[in-house]
Amino acid sequence: MKHKLLPLSETMHYILLALREPLHGYAVMQKIERISNGSVVLAPGTLYGAIENLNKHGWIEPVGISGRRKIYKITTDGMKILSIEHDRLSHILSLYEEGEIHEEM
Amino acid sequence: MKKCNMFFNIEKEEKWLNEQLQAGYRCTNISWLGVYTFNKTDKNYVMRLDYQGYLPKKKHQEYKTIYEDFGWDYVEGYSFGGIQYWQKESGEQNDIFSDRESKGNYYKRLMGYSLSLALMSLFFTTMILTDMGFSGLYHEGLWSMDGSLFWKAFVFETPFVLLKLAPAILAILFGCSFYKSYRNYSMV
Repeated sequence: MKHKLLPLSETMHYILLALREPLHGYAVMQKIERISNGSVVLAPGTLYGAIENLNKHGWIEPVGISGRRKIYKITTDGMKILSIEHDRLSHILSLYEEGEIHEEM
Repeated sequence: MKKCNMFFNIEKEEKWLNEQLQAGYRCTNISWLGVYTFNKTDKNYVMRLDYQGYLPKKKHQEYKTIYEDFGWDYVEGYSFGGIQYWQKESGEQNDIFSDRESKGNYYKRLMGYSLSLALMSLFFTTMILTDMGFSGLYHEGLWSMDGSLFWKAFVFETPFVLLKLAPAILAILFGCSFYKSYRNYSMV
């Protein structure tokens, strides 16, 4: 059965991508703002809830503490989810490209 | 400045608080009895109310740390659950939720909260009413009194009757606030 968090929301997707390196919450937000070219700016309630959710499903895990901040990193299960999403999005992209060929014809 | 108020709807409370802040105030304390303390300020502040169920101490600390990193000040709230009051200087990002999913989850938490309070009030209502019934709200002898004596006794007893009916009134208020959260949830 398909997991209830799939397909990933934009927020969850970006967090999983960002946590391929270990980071604490605020740094996750900063990194996402950077890698999304400023288009995704997470608010704290959204970030906290998403981290909770991803942690609960075992897709990310705490790997350390820096001061009062908890540091998280993606798990192997999380990497599997990213690869499922990668295939889904590549397929959708391929449909976009097909569409362009038909229009040219 | 101190102001007293009572709310059964978190969104109304948030709106009221922000109206006070727009008049050039900053909220410094909220007591559970409904006393809000404000200080005059020349800066612009905004407040956002979140609702969280019980969080273990460590989780609550993590929750607070993330908000504080984003520049929000914790005005009031408890780790055993309830409304969490956040305040910050008005800026580019004034919201605590940035996507539909988390806003929807927020309304779901509110629904659970008002539903549990409504059910609890309903439970007390049935307990009181099975104990004495509607007819037992006033003393039996009251209805056989006449004239001014009746009215005096009636007026005297009414506050106590309202007190007995308080759980029923609360059940209705929390029921309304459940319905409002549900409406908001379905519109997210």
